[in-house]
Amino acid sequence: MATEPKPNKVKTDLLRVEGVTKVFDGVIKAVDNVSLTVAQAEIFALLGGSGSGKSTLLRLLAGFEKPTKGRIFLAGQDITDLPPYQRPINMMFQSYALFPHLTVWQNIAFGLQRDHMPKAQIAERVESMLKLVQLTSFAQRKPHQLSGGQQQRVALARSLAKQPKLLLLDEPLGALDKKLREKTQVELVGIIEEVGVTCVLVTHDQEEAMTMASTIAVMHEGTILQTGTPDEVYERPNSRQVAEFIGDVNIFEGQIETYAADHVLIRSEACMHFVMHGISGHVGLPVLVAVRPEKVVLSKKRPAGEVNWCSGEVVAVVYFGDHTIYHIQLANAQVIKAQQMNSTTDLAEVIAWGDQVYASWSGLAMVVLVQ
Amino acid sequence: MINHLKKLLSGKNTIILVPYLWFILLVAIPLSIVLKISLSEMSATSVADMLSWSQGWPTIKINFASYLFLATDPLYIDTYLSSIKYALLTTLICLFVGFPFAYFMARAPKHLQPMLLMLIMLPFWTSFLLRIYAWKTLLVSNGIINNALLSFGVINQPLAMMNNSFSLVLGMVYSYLPFMILPLYANLSKLDVRFLEAAADLGASAFKTFWLVTVPLSKAGIIAGSMLVFIPAVGEYVIPELLGGSDTLMIGRVLWDEFFANNDWPMASAVAVVMMLLILLPISLLNSYQSGQAESKL
Repeated sequence: MATEPKPNKVKTDLLRVEGVTKVFDGVIKAVDNVSLTVAQAEIFALLGGSGSGKSTLLRLLAGFEKPTKGRIFLAGQDITDLPPYQRPINMMFQSYALFPHLTVWQNIAFGLQRDHMPKAQIAERVESMLKLVQLTSFAQRKPHQLSGGQQQRVALARSLAKQPKLLLLDEPLGALDKKLREKTQVELVGIIEEVGVTCVLVTHDQEEAMTMASTIAVMHEGTILQTGTPDEVYERPNSRQVAEFIGDVNIFEGQIETYAADHVLIRSEACMHFVMHGISGHVGLPVLVAVRPEKVVLSKKRPAGEVNWCSGEVVAVVYFGDHTIYHIQLANAQVIKAQQMNSTTDLAEVIAWGDQVYASWSGLAMVVLVQ
Repeated sequence: MINHLKKLLSGKNTIILVPYLWFILLVAIPLSIVLKISLSEMSATSVADMLSWSQGWPTIKINFASYLFLATDPLYIDTYLSSIKYALLTTLICLFVGFPFAYFMARAPKHLQPMLLMLIMLPFWTSFLLRIYAWKTLLVSNGIINNALLSFGVINQPLAMMNNSFSLVLGMVYSYLPFMILPLYANLSKLDVRFLEAAADLGASAFKTFWLVTVPLSKAGIIAGSMLVFIPAVGEYVIPELLGGSDTLMIGRVLWDEFFANNDWPMASAVAVVMMLLILLPISLLNSYQSGQAESKL
């Protein structure tokens, strides 16, 4: 799903967050000892549920909150104690916060006027911003006269007008409906890459993070659980929370039965798992085996071999058109999900409610998580 | 016919009927009477009838003398001007005192706000007249303030704080301040903090943010509060009577004099009608502004 990463240039770190902690009311740790670096021209996503601390971290970067502990560096300069209006950082707010009493033109010019830029230069910059977001003919409208998508583009233009070193996006697509969101995602990334600005975005929507970001940091309870490229966090999650937060996942609880040099055998209640890539552990170690639903193959015939499959009864069929998700209840009452592409129209092969099926997956499809 | 009547008296219409009745009985009819009296003549000690019968024909006699006198006598013009001056001054002071008041109330912790609101309304629990009298005892030459200042040696002779424009404006500001604070508070408490953050994010200092974002966005509250203070302040009678002096002429007192001292009802009514027009003008301006706003929101 992720857009192909651009050929790697020499990466220089633009933003460095060192051990930042934010405590509210003396007790609530919203952000807990977070460290991260964001490279120049990177789109970095902070992904997490509500209360994960991602928004607080963004507000710390913008300067609306002061960290209780830790430092924030931007291009080598310590900006921890700078007020928001002195930071070379601009933010695109959730639901945009466009000034309702100002026109589109005045909204975009607002930041430039605060810098006492010459009038002619302001006009030139605003025009180029309007052109960038394709709203030239809407310059004299008020925000409430624009559609949601147009407001979003004004907000983007306003936050890019001052050519910030760092652009912060707070749930940039959260206020748009699903159809528009997909279109806007692509547009947004296009504009950000055209401008070449480094970007930190906050979202609770894993799809949004996957499609837009080059690096994702998954946050949970104020800490970063895992940082990596979209496919790293999706294919090789380092914990149950990450695996469960990003996409759907089947988790088998088991323990290591055989620990060999080239493979590991894990026994769970449902079946025997034969994992080919190495994990560090020992016999008897309790582990979790995670398998994504799209990597599960369903068949009415019994697979060959004794490992990496289980059987059960189809208890739910959720049809999506291009694919179907089957819920299969195993002998131990565990329900797993399997996603199948609807590549056939042959009804005889179609798996239906109540069918006894075999679910199997390859030895490379599993991720073993040590608790 | 009966169906038609039933339709007229349907639930929706009867509900509307109540405010209409109220308006007709207590606003429209009294106002027309005042207007009628202002266009009548005095005959001896009572107002002359407008309608008279001469040779079997009804004759209506309209008398503009009161209005003409009003326009030519500098006393009235000066009084109107000074009423407007004091009302404007009161409104401005209320705005400058009330705005920060309302602002910090709106920004106070949520659980404190009901209590702060109650404190604003607390003075209404005591009679308005009593509170104005209380100011009298504070401000007079041998009043509490002067006595305290004298005994501490801050001043050698009592300050003239009573029966002048100072006491008048102080009394009006004191009385009308809640009417400025309440609409401003209602407006400012709805102001989205994100607008202020967005301004700060774009490089505006706290001062700039206040002037460029907070004030324009609270315009409706400022206008509403100013109207609520200005309109009653123009026609104020009790405060100028009790706290004002001989040089603080206000139209309410002139009105009283015309009615009860001069017993010139047409003149008094004319004064009232012109005062009403003076007040209606800013209201209609406000209305056109607000309907303009509503239209632009469509």
